[in-house]
Amino acid sequence: MLLMVVMLCACLPAAAQGTSSASLGAKFIPEQLGRRTTLEFSFSFSAAAGQVPPPLTQIELRYPDNLGLGLSGLGLATCTSATLEASGPSGCPPNSVMGYGQALTGIVLGATPITESAPITILRSPDVDGHLAVLFSSEGTAPVDTRIVFPGLLLPASAPFGGLVSVGVPLVPTLPGAPYISVIWLHATLGPRKVTYDEEVNGRTLAYTPKGILLPNSCPRGGFPFAAQFDFFDGSLSNARTAMRCPGHG
Amino acid sequence: MIANVKQWKIPAMMVLAPFGMLAAEALSAIGPAKAQGATRQQLAHAAHTLRAADSAHLRYLSASGSLLYEEGRASGTLPGNMRVHFDVGATFSGSFTIYTRGGTITGHGTATPHGAGVYESFAGSLVVTHGSGRYTHAQGRAGLYGTFDRNNYALVVQTTGTLRY
Repeated sequence: MLLMVVMLCACLPAAAQGTSSASLGAKFIPEQLGRRTTLEFSFSFSAAAGQVPPPLTQIELRYPDNLGLGLSGLGLATCTSATLEASGPSGCPPNSVMGYGQALTGIVLGATPITESAPITILRSPDVDGHLAVLFSSEGTAPVDTRIVFPGLLLPASAPFGGLVSVGVPLVPTLPGAPYISVIWLHATLGPRKVTYDEEVNGRTLAYTPKGILLPNSCPRGGFPFAAQFDFFDGSLSNARTAMRCPGHG
Repeated sequence: MIANVKQWKIPAMMVLAPFGMLAAEALSAIGPAKAQGATRQQLAHAAHTLRAADSAHLRYLSASGSLLYEEGRASGTLPGNMRVHFDVGATFSGSFTIYTRGGTITGHGTATPHGAGVYESFAGSLVVTHGSGRYTHAQGRAGLYGTFDRNNYALVVQTTGTLRY
């Protein structure tokens, strides 16, 4: 039966993966100017009924200027991809965690879409070519037991953006002849929410919550802009933009 | 306050402890032909070239988003108080003013941060654009190095370069 399904898949991969449009969401938690916050962002990709989007290969997320990521107290330690691949996020220093998330992935086997939800951990990794680097770790359990580690870099971006996170998404094989896994949606946070760090004080290890991203005292005209570009395995591109309305003062 | 800095679009980092090694080497850098046509005042403006190596320890005053405002003491060839606005982004960029006995020295700079941990090092360059008092015509360039404490935002800055005034 499985073999039949695989053969069917191999014959019909194009029919199972349609072109996709993307949407982008972003919000601050809490939303108060001049205060510390966590950035929550989300992507989702649409596809025709019975299909999944093409496999994702690259994400570039542009974030607003004057967002105090560098003052967040996040990423005081680093974790390497080798450690992550071998031990998962639990093998990394707690002070390397920068956020958490969840992704829904899927493939179409035969005519049946099969989805899988996987937790994501975002960690600081050693700089690459002078750029701040992060790692995304995703661990799925069922129906496919897999651990995926993929890298991201913080790069400069032109106005009105303060920078961009460039993420290379690896192709994840499933069954022989079957399509690569597609990302259907992803939610993640970057900030102190649910993050706990350790520090040594007088020889004792104390837990604390990192400060968080510092919002500016004033809001950019039109709100805080975010933009994303998504590259897919079939060569297509999709762009999405959003602007976060101006929050009040804390 | 910091919002104003933003409008300057200062690129780079900061602080410059004024120029670091201002080891003082007063050169009369103007060629004879040029000097003949110059007024006494112009000669005075161009008559000093300092090679400097300075350092500064700056403490956090306020922040808005990624913009920091800091102040502290600079020591070395051009000692004085220093105020710095800088943007802690993918690169560091900012502007500075040093208040010396003889006048102020103002400029801007950029630097690239390196490494992780509580202390983040950076390296870059700065440009002196103008000044006041004795340094009204100040111009110069310097290398910029230092560390940024990600817990309390304190900056330690070292500069090495040349100042003409």
